[in-house]
This record gives sequence, structure tokens and C-alpha cells, in this order.
Amino acid sequence: MNKLAAIFFGSLLLAPAKLSAAEDRRERVLNDRKEVEAAGHWIYNDLPRGFAEAARTGQPLLIVVRCVP
Amino acid sequence: MDEFVCVRLVQANALDLTLFQFDYDLTFAVFFINADRTIYGRYGTRSERKDATKDISIESFREALAAALDLHKHYPANKRALAGKQPRPTKFKTPHDFPSLAGKYKPTLDYEGKVVQSCMHCHQMRDAERRFFRDDKKPIPDEVLYPYPMPNAAGLSLDPKEKAKVRKVVPGSAAQKAGFRMGDEILALAGQPIISIADVQWVLNNASEPATLNTQVLRGRKKINVALNLDKDWRRHSDIAWRTTTWDLRRMAAGGLVLEDSTAEERRDAELPDAALALRVKYVGEYGEHAVAKKAGFKKDDILLSVDRQTSHLTESELFRYLLQNKMPGEKISVTVLRGSERINLELPMQ
Repeated sequence: MNKLAAIFFGSLLLAPAKLSAAEDRRERVLNDRKEVEAAGHWIYNDLPRGFAEAARTGQPLLIVVRCVP
Repeated sequence: MDEFVCVRLVQANALDLTLFQFDYDLTFAVFFINADRTIYGRYGTRSERKDATKDISIESFREALAAALDLHKHYPANKRALAGKQPRPTKFKTPHDFPSLAGKYKPTLDYEGKVVQSCMHCHQMRDAERRFFRDDKKPIPDEVLYPYPMPNAAGLSLDPKEKAKVRKVVPGSAAQKAGFRMGDEILALAGQPIISIADVQWVLNNASEPATLNTQVLRGRKKINVALNLDKDWRRHSDIAWRTTTWDLRRMAAGGLVLEDSTAEERRDAELPDAALALRVKYVGEYGEHAVAKKAGFKKDDILLSVDRQTSHLTESELFRYLLQNKMPGEKISVTVLRGSERINLELPMQ
């Protein structure tokens, strides 16, 4: 449950929640990529790789479309 | 979560619209998909401008995940039941197919340069779709003005902590007439297995006007079939004021004005009956095409009493629908406003 909550709320709120008011939209976009890739669970902005991985593993895809800035 | 291949997309720039069809006003939308591109379901709902999390929850997300995995487990035997969940044919296969967006963005974000400016937002596609009709001087149809209606449009309030469980049935609504009850869990709608409120919205988005939606609900331990009959104007019960894309409708129909219904106190003070039009100007746009109403003489706190001879009560959404379906760019609409105790006649240019 904790992992699920972290990933769910992370995917939803990660960028805004971790930023101070001083950080601008550019930093928000750059930090989103950096932090989500560092978390290691997500394929970032690479749909063909996601489909290839799903075909290889037989797993379904969970695709989040998220407006960051 | 470990049972999924998780992909995060943060740009609409090259989004495949033959696959990704959803409510473009959302800032968070989820698809559950097979590797062969068959969609199992959608997740992500919003009906508030400020609170993006009011209509979603970790509980309902978890249920959607489990339900999607169950559909995957039974795939492809269930392929026929999933047919209605698949994307519809679309004239616009990528965002760049919209005339007003063509050539404006590159396929990927410019992380080394102006990354924010290089990002096309999902809501721009809805704006572009409406602009497509408006620029062609054609009425914007209901399904484009009222995309992905909340179930409330049919009189159903669903619990955001559940997959699709009825929290309230509005008296006198289509849902009440159909026999829905509080506590009913919607299992299938129009033949589609439902795993989220977003799935219900998908069915509503693609429903005709009028429509009959055959529904299977779980009531206690019994599965019951209910026929939800929607009248020809059912979409118009949707409130679109919260949507980001309504900003552009305000430019088109109101020259940049933001309108809200007068309060009971304001009506009493101005001696305006409840059935009368009384939309108060909450905000006047300052720049560019959003300053057209300001230039025409409109001011904050003016109360619109008559618009193109319409004097009956209308919400902002209802007024916009009237204007966007009946008045084309270049026309000027006569408006009477109440400013203090004075009635003033103005002309509002359509864009």
C-alpha cells in the first residue's frame, strides 16, 4: 500500500509537492524527469519502449499522462 | 504496481490521438493498455478548477489497478466486451493535425533549451478543436462544448473512493427515473466493463443525444439491469466553468469576461427575480483578445440583465453554449448591464 500510495501520489503530485514557490516551471519540468527516472519504476516519455517491454514481459501497460508545468 | 509496465508521458507534443483519447482538461490521466494497444480502462476524473484530487483517491486507483489486471488475465477471451472502450476514429491523428497547432511544436521537449515553451499542453488540443469550428464559422456542437461529462449530468453522483459506486441519485433526474439507488455499483455500462469513474465518463462522452445506456449494477448481492434514458439535451446539464479550456470560450463568447450567477443578496438588492438573467462580471480580461469586452465598455461587477434579448436565467456555461452555437465571429451582440442603479446598453463583439 505504501509503495502504491507513493507511486500514485508521486505520479500525481510529485513535482508540485517537492518544489518551493521560488522554483520556476522550468525547474519543475527538469526535476520531474530527474526524480521520476531516479525512482526507477517508470519508463519516461518513451512509449515505444513501454510497448516493447509489455510485449516482452506479457504485462499490461499503465500509462500516466501528466501535465507537469 | 509491479505487475504493470509503467510509462510516464509529460507532453502532448506527439501524442497519438488514435490511441490516447481522454478528457484533455485533466492534468493527470491514466490508461491501462495491452501491448497490442487494446485499452482495458481509464482512470482520472476532475470537476474542480483548484482541487485536482477531489474526484480521485488512492482507494479507487487501487481498485482500478486490480480490475485492469483482472481484465488482462482474461484477455483475449473478453476482447468483445472491451470493444466499446477502444478509441474512436478521429480526424485529428496528432495534435499537429489541428490547423491552429500545426507546426507550432516539435515532437519532443527541448530539455537543453526553453523546455517549458517547447511543451504542448493537453488542453491546447481541446482549444484547437473548438477553434476549428469557430474559425470556420460553424456552431460548436454539444459534444465538443461538453466533453467527458461527469455522471452528474445524468443525475448520478459517484463515490471517488470506489470504482463506480452510486453515492447519491438526484431527485427527478434521468438516473432516478431509471431506478438507480444509492449504493449501486456500476459493473457495466453500454456493454463495457467499468473500472473507474473515468470509464463511465468515456461511455457518456461517446453517447448520442438522446441515448439509452443499458447498465448492469450490483445491488447487494444481486446483479440488476437498468436502462438509463438520456434526453436530447442531457449534456447541457454539465458545468464546464471549472475547465481550463473554458478560458478560451470566454474569449470567443464574452470578450474575456468571467461571469458568475448573482447571489441571492445581489438579486434582492437589485430587485431581480430568480428566473431572470443576472450574471455578474467577476473578472474583465486585460490583454489581447481577452480585453475585447473591456474595450467595449464592460466593467467588473456589472450585472448582465439581457444578452441578445435573452432575459431568462442562464449560467455562464449555458450563456456560452447559446452564443457559441448561434452567434459567429464578427457579430456584435446587444447587452444590457446593471451598473449600480443604472441600466446601460453595450455591444459585445463575438470572436
